[in-house]
Amino acid sequence: MSAASPRYSAWSLLRARLAGEGFWQPLWSGARLKDGYDVVVVGAGGHGLATAYHLARDHGIKRVAVLEKRLVGYGNVGRNTTIVRSNYLLPENHYFYEDSLRRWERLSRDLNYNVMYSPRGVLDLALSDGEMIGLARRGNAMRLAGIDAELLDRPGVMKFAPELAAAGPRRFDIVGGLLQPRGGTVRHDAVAWGYARAASALGVDIIEDCEVQGVRTAAGVATGVETTRGFVGAGRIVFAVAGHTGAVGRMLGLNLPVETHLLQAMVTEPIKPLIGSVLIYVPPHGEVYVTQSDRGGVVMGGFLDGFPSYTREGQWYRLEDVVGAAVALLPQIASLRILRHWAGTNDMTMDGSFIIDRLRHDNVFLNGGWCYGGFKAIPASGAACATFVATGTAPDLIRAHNLGRFASGHLLDERGGGPFPVRQ
Amino acid sequence: MNRLVCPFCGARELEEFLFHKTLPEAGASEYSAVYERTNRLDDSLEHWQHVHGCRAWLEVRRNPSSGDVLEIRMIGGGRN
Repeated sequence: MSAASPRYSAWSLLRARLAGEGFWQPLWSGARLKDGYDVVVVGAGGHGLATAYHLARDHGIKRVAVLEKRLVGYGNVGRNTTIVRSNYLLPENHYFYEDSLRRWERLSRDLNYNVMYSPRGVLDLALSDGEMIGLARRGNAMRLAGIDAELLDRPGVMKFAPELAAAGPRRFDIVGGLLQPRGGTVRHDAVAWGYARAASALGVDIIEDCEVQGVRTAAGVATGVETTRGFVGAGRIVFAVAGHTGAVGRMLGLNLPVETHLLQAMVTEPIKPLIGSVLIYVPPHGEVYVTQSDRGGVVMGGFLDGFPSYTREGQWYRLEDVVGAAVALLPQIASLRILRHWAGTNDMTMDGSFIIDRLRHDNVFLNGGWCYGGFKAIPASGAACATFVATGTAPDLIRAHNLGRFASGHLLDERGGGPFPVRQ
Repeated sequence: MNRLVCPFCGARELEEFLFHKTLPEAGASEYSAVYERTNRLDDSLEHWQHVHGCRAWLEVRRNPSSGDVLEIRMIGGGRN
């Protein structure tokens, strides 16, 4: 199976050039579904593929399958704004996301696949003194944890992001910002393809067009999953289907602390380099994050559509809100045309933080509730979730992110918004 | 889904309405009512408010997979 895709190097590129088209092989092999596996991972998105990859690589579990309802990378791993950062306030979150950022830094080498990690800097902007105090608090929390954070005054912001200085007078002027220099972007599709290729090379079966419809149990233990291609036996089951975690709860007869909401993103026609970093502004005057892709398109995202939905049809008024906030920051982009916009289904939890825990049975695991933070978490989530599944013990990084925290009161409420998924 | 039919004002843009909360099942515990959701793919009972209209609080039953509104009425069902 590892013959499917040769190891890439400068030398292999040269050989590919000489060999012509015949050199390039499918990145992962068309595996055939077996009757049973040690671990069945449900969902071939970033988290599912990364979990399978780490199960095979770090824990030597070879009989692993990833079952996917549609196609590899069809869901949120291909529907985000590609931003990676670890500028969180709460220790439980910033240590986890920092672990992820450190893995992003070396992921291209680990996977032998260029995921185009671009540490262009993530700049959170403040338009008032109150917001500056909030950013300073967050930056101090990060620095105490050894994470890079620089509080910039107005001249500092204008020096780092001169495109903001070109904007002229503003109704709400920029007071300063919090910069995380190591934050940036990663090519999202390459992440799905790279993990799929690396997992497949380690013997993981990636099965597309195979929808899981139920869990079979015997004597209180899960024995496998019912799929559209028949029953598949499983020693352990991992659900990594963020966006549809609520449906997994239904499958097991559980009400879970998640609700599915839509989040939109949009991209303009390509232009010459304008935006050199990731610019973020959060309420009260709007919410937007803006980057420029390597192709030149201005990529924007904002906040939730505002009500539960599985339709993946974004609301026009939210698109207007997001674009309006982006134009307020960068009036230069006002005349650009939007080429594409799309919506992804987000698991929103009751505290805005993710959940990795056992689900009902000892051998069923849930990796979900990622809210806005799913893409940037993929490498750390895969490694931590695989350790949990392989050893039966949650590693320290994710111990606080259990399901029981809602009942015990140990919520990880980053924004302090209360138990309202729509406000996280 | 881009419009809701307010029982008082008629069909209005969705933008005029604010979603508040998904309602728990009858008999749910206090913990469950606050922290858990039934997450049915085809049926969701919710509280909305016509904030940029008559400000009435509405009980809306929707299909979150198709976006269809199945039922909409004023909370409590009475006159006000």
